[in-house]
This record gives sequence, structure tokens and C-alpha cells, in this order.
Amino acid sequence: MSESDMRSILKCIRCGTCRSICPVFDVVGWESASSRGRMLVAHGISQGMEVDQSVFDSINTCTTCGLCEQMCPSGAAPVKVVENVRRQLALQGKMSDTQKELRFEALDKGNPLGEAKDRMAWLGDSKEDVTKQADYVFFAGCMASYRYPELTKRTFDILKKYGVTVLEEEVCCGSPLLRTGSDPSELVSKNMRQIKKTGAHTIITGCAGCFTTLKNDYPGDVKVVHVVEFLADHLDEMDLKKLDMKVTYHDPCHLGRCNGVFDAPRQIIRSICELEEMKSNREKSKCCGAGGGVLKGYPELSREISKNRVEEIPKDVDYLVTACPLCRTNLKRGDPRVDVLDIIDLLEMAME
Amino acid sequence: MKKSDLLNILQEIAGNERVSASSAELYCYSCDASQVRGMPDFVVRPVSTEQVSKIVRLANKEEIPVTTRGAGTGMAGGAVPLEGGIVLDMSSMNRILEMDIGNLQVTIEPGIIQEKLNEALEPYGFFFPPDPGSSAMCTLGGLIANNGSGMRSVKYGTTKNYVLGLEVVMADGTVVNTGSKVTKSVAGYSLNDLFVGSEGTLGVITKATLKVRALPKERSVLLASFDDPEQAGQAVVKVLSSGLIPSACEILDRNIIEAINTYDPNIGLPKAGAILMFEVDGTENSVREGIEMIRDICSPLATSIRAASDKKERYEIWAARRLVGAAVSRLDPLYTRVYLGEDIGVPIKELPGMLHKIREISEEFDLPIMTYGHIGDGNLHTGMCIDVLDEKQWDKLSKVADKIHRTAIGIGGTVTAEHGVGSSRAEYLELELGNALDVMILIKKALDPKGTLNPGKMGV
Repeated sequence: MSESDMRSILKCIRCGTCRSICPVFDVVGWESASSRGRMLVAHGISQGMEVDQSVFDSINTCTTCGLCEQMCPSGAAPVKVVENVRRQLALQGKMSDTQKELRFEALDKGNPLGEAKDRMAWLGDSKEDVTKQADYVFFAGCMASYRYPELTKRTFDILKKYGVTVLEEEVCCGSPLLRTGSDPSELVSKNMRQIKKTGAHTIITGCAGCFTTLKNDYPGDVKVVHVVEFLADHLDEMDLKKLDMKVTYHDPCHLGRCNGVFDAPRQIIRSICELEEMKSNREKSKCCGAGGGVLKGYPELSREISKNRVEEIPKDVDYLVTACPLCRTNLKRGDPRVDVLDIIDLLEMAME
Repeated sequence: MKKSDLLNILQEIAGNERVSASSAELYCYSCDASQVRGMPDFVVRPVSTEQVSKIVRLANKEEIPVTTRGAGTGMAGGAVPLEGGIVLDMSSMNRILEMDIGNLQVTIEPGIIQEKLNEALEPYGFFFPPDPGSSAMCTLGGLIANNGSGMRSVKYGTTKNYVLGLEVVMADGTVVNTGSKVTKSVAGYSLNDLFVGSEGTLGVITKATLKVRALPKERSVLLASFDDPEQAGQAVVKVLSSGLIPSACEILDRNIIEAINTYDPNIGLPKAGAILMFEVDGTENSVREGIEMIRDICSPLATSIRAASDKKERYEIWAARRLVGAAVSRLDPLYTRVYLGEDIGVPIKELPGMLHKIREISEEFDLPIMTYGHIGDGNLHTGMCIDVLDEKQWDKLSKVADKIHRTAIGIGGTVTAEHGVGSSRAEYLELELGNALDVMILIKKALDPKGTLNPGKMGV
């Protein structure tokens, strides 16, 4: 274990603040599923504790939402510790079946979903608008490309007039591997080579997971913005009509808390309709339950976390809006009756 | 009985999903916020008194230790299974059983979180006053078992002042009810008082009926800055002698002020040798009058005085104050707050002297001691941070804690005003209590002859 990880573990004084906020502990109820518990387990591993299923479950059920780091009074960093422990265990070959599957699919097929189809099929007739060089690259991401192809095309159609292109052979950004302890460098290199070829100075993405990975884990000095940031800067040019409705907004953890993008999505929403905040929002927003490999590895736990999140939706809103396809998917799993929109859907409603 | 057989029986009692003997879980339940460690053999999360009774009876028969735990936020090892055995994690028994506002009381299960209870009481215009820094995570069961209190105890007293009745599982599994729903009763020994603060050594609390109070109409906060903690201590004595009872009276020393400002720079506490945070609650008029009285009394000693501007600032100040015990760890990346010698209480008029002695001890051992706490009731929290990888610093810290404890006892004080004895302060009880400890031991033997309930705690 690195000294900085050990120092972070030792910063934890087990005050229990994280017990009151960890969305996973809220569902599971066992101490090992709280951030404090994970710090203890990480310490145990460093002291030679055998890595059995209970240890895997403790370390692997963290959604990496970062609320504990945000609220920790003593300044511990449980998410960094969890990700590093996952990485160290993976290096020793200690991985759960889910971790192995994520890695295999991402490296073999270029996406962790195991999809063998043409990734860029979402482009449809917009294929002809793709240029070899551009100032901006739209990085669609795996979830958007395969699960929300129409939305992805519509997003690109809005963006393309600003000189935006896409990568010819985009592959997974590497986020699922990074979060679950595997080495994403093969994927990172493949994407980076293509980004450089386009000559773009900025990457635009609509996925919170891709956003934080491209922004914080990719080499070089290419600027990375989320599509909400980009569009918030171009609102004046969009001729949006006001809609007589009220929505609420779910802050994706890796967009909001981890990277501080809170105002741009709210600016877009307020330019279209009324916004009523969820019970917890902005820095203290609760996780949808999908991140950190939890949706893949612990689908029922992930659904229960999402149920708790959708219970925070104000009673009288028309839609729940978010800005991440993974959050969108899981919020819908939390309660299929909830009308969940991507912020692009909302934007289009105001453009019609 | 073999461990595997015991596991089967525990699973039969509580259900497979509520019993664990996994390595991760046992490790996580081997400690609380103190430095005390003890590895359990099983952890059970019961959901009913019946389950608790069956488990305690089984443990008694097999002579296996049972350690009761709330949220594990204790700072003295009270919930640490020193001798192994079963940890009863009571946090799943978290229902409000009866909201009897007409009788100014509420009946709860012990696992409910203090803050959740107050959230439920607020719409009725009531609250449960004991208000520890850990209110967002600590359970009522833990508060009762440690007679916890916190920032409002100067006016509202400690948890024991609010316990009307308890349901307790005794060492042999028998379920007894102490107290009643009436606010006054002298029928028999005050068994409520026996179990409150007994830290799980005499029985397992499975239900409690608690008094609640009407929320005050108004609250106001005043911050008074001083050159040093001793002067602040003198101001406290004067304020309390005036007949005024603030609803909170907290001290923050120089380092704690820095820690709060580091944790939340928006608060921007003034730089000073010490700050007193007074809160007055009541009607609009009484609050205004109280704040003015405090301002007048503190003025000759204070370097500056200011009132919190609005409800938002007041909330932020208290929120930061709640977390400061842990937030001092942020002052140095290599140092961590360690809870040892952190909870002394002294008679009110000894406060300035004790504050002076703390400074002397700090200088003698060359170890910074940060002081904060509920100075209004003589309760000082002395916070120390060390590099926990450095054995020499541990040694120094232990010596400082020991000297703080002995100094407090020497001037008629206590080694623990609200955090509990657990095992980390058990060695001082003989010095502090004298032969009253023998009475405690007799009570323990009478109620738990096999010594299965939380062994190794409280000096019994």
C-alpha cells in the first residue's frame, strides 16, 4: 500500500459521519458497507487480511460517488483508497468475476457492455457530417452509443454546427476499468491517438463517467467539457421557448461533486422551465447507485440505492432530468414510473 | 459449543442475513472511534426484543460475552468486544413506536439516530434536547447507555433527565421494564438511572420512553473573543453566576478556531486566543435580554463580540462546531486526532484553573493541546493530534492524557463528562470514585453474575 493511501486511512478517525450519508450503507446496513468500514478493510488488507468474498464485497460495493470525501470532517479520502485497493488486488490477480468481465469486454470489444455491433451506428445519416479535422470532438461514450443511439445522434446534430466531429473508432474511455481496478491505458492510447489526429482543442462528452475520466485521467492538454457546459455557453444562440412545466435535476456524482459542474445544467433548465431541487442536491447530492462497477456487480443493491434516490424527487414535478446516460438508466431502474429525461431531451422539447 | 453450532443457532434466532462471522465484518466491528480493539466472533443485527432476549440468554448459558453497539461512534471503546463473543448491532431496531406528544413523550427503539428522532419531532414543534456532536450518526441507545449530552446540556441537562422508562434485556435474557409514563414516580429504586450510563454492562436496552420539550420560539448566537482560554473561563463563571442560563456555552481555542475555518472557510471565525459561543433560546424578548446580558458581562474581558447575523449563519456555526473534534485532523496532513484524555469535567469555578493547567501540561510535554467543549457545564474536550505511525508520539500522548485525567480528578473533576468510561478510562474509576466503585462491582455481580455483558468495561 502506498504511503499516501495509508495516510488517508489513518486520517479516518471512525467518527461515523460517513455512516449517515453513504448510500450503500443506507441499503446494506452492515458496517463493512460504509466508507468507514471500507477504510478499516483496506487497513486490514494492508496488514495481511485474507481477501475473501466479504472483503471483495466491502471494497467493490463502493459506487465511488465521493459524498463521504465531501463530508469527511477529518479529510480522509475513501474513494481514492477504494480505487487503489481495487487496483492493487487486481494486480495480484484478485478480481471478482464482474471485474474480469468488464476488463475483458472493454479490451476485447472496446466497450464494457459486450456489444459487438458497430459502435458508430448511432450516427445514421449524420455520418456525412463527420469531418476528419475539427476544433471539437464529441466523445459519445459506450452507454450513449449503444443504449441511447437516437439521443446521441440528436446531441451530435445540435453540436455539429459548432465545428464538432467524432472519432472514427471511439472506444470505451476506460472509466469502468479505472473504477474497478484494471489498467485502461490501451483504451486511453487508442482514443488519444485519434483525438490528436482531429486536431481538436476540446473534447465534449455527455456522460459523467467519460467526462471525469477524459478530464482527469487522460494525458495531454486537450480541454474537456461536458455537453451541458458547452451548451450553457451557447444558450443565447438556441432560440429556446419557455415550457410551462417543472422539473427536478439529479446531479451525476462524477459531473457535479467530483468536478464542480453544478451551475451549467441548472442554467439550461432554468432557461426552459421551472426547476425544483431534489431533497439532496449539488455537493450533497445522493448517488443513483450505478457507478464504481456497482450496477454491473451488484445490480439489486444498485437498484435499491436508486430507489432511495428517486424518493427524493419533489412531488409535483413533471420530469426528472439528468446529464449522464448511466444515471438515467439506473434512475429508471429505481422506479420505472419516473419520467427521466436527459438534459438534451429537455433542450429539444424547447427547440421544437 | 462449537463456533459453527453457535452460528447456526444465532442464524435461527435472527435469520441468516442478520448474522455475520465474515472476516470483513468482524474486522469492522472490532473498534469504535477510540483506540481500543477487540475482535468479535459474531455480529448480529437483531430486529426485536425477542431476538435480543434469545441471544443474550444463549450467550449467558454458553458464557459468551455480549457487547451492545449503536452506531459505533463512541470514543472510549464502550462498544468494542474486548473479549470477543457476540456484538449486538442495535441499529436496525430504529422505529419510533409511539409519538405521544400529548404526554410530552415519545417511545423509541434504541437504534434510531438522534437527528432522525428530532426530524420526526419537529413538525409537532418538539425536540429531544441532548445534542451531541455526533447527532447525525449516533443512536439513542448509545446516548442512553453512555448518558450522552452535548452542546445544550448547560440548560437542558443530560440524557438521564429525559428517560422516563426503559425496556431492558437482563443478563439471563429476562425482559424488564423500568420507570413508567408518568413524569414523577418514587415507586422503588430509580432503575432508569441505574441503566442510563451503564454502557451495556448491566443489560441491553431495547426500548425507551423519553421526555421531549417544546422547540423554543427563538434562538440567538453570540461569539465573544478573548486573548486566552483562561479569560474565557472567567467570563463563563461570571455569566453562569448571573442567573442566566444559556442554551449553549462552548469554548474554542486558537487551534480549534483555525480548524473550523479550514473545514468551512465561509464561517470565518475571528482570530483570537479563544472564542466563547453562547446560544440563548426562549421567547423573542427573553432571548434579546439574555444576549444583551451576556454581551454586558463579557465586554470587560472580551476583545470583540459579535452576534450571528441570521439563522443560516447560526446553523453553519453549529454544524461546524459539531464536526470540529474530527476536523482538527485537517490542520496537518501527517497528523490525526486521537481520542484520549478528551472528555474531562471540572466544577465550574475550577474552569480557569483547569484551562491554565492544560496549557502547562501542553508546554511540559511539548504537545499542542486544542481545547473546546461545553464549558458551560465544566466539560472540556482536550484534542490532541499526533503522527500515529510514530511510537514516541503515542507514548507522549498517553502520558499527557494520564496527567490531564489525574489533574481533573485532583480538583474534584471527572475523567469523563459525557463520552463514557468504556475501557480506555476504566483504570481511573477507583481513583475518582473510591469505594463507590465497590458498590458498582456488587451491582454488576448481582445483575450479571457470569459477567457476560460487555466485559472489561467501566472498571467492573
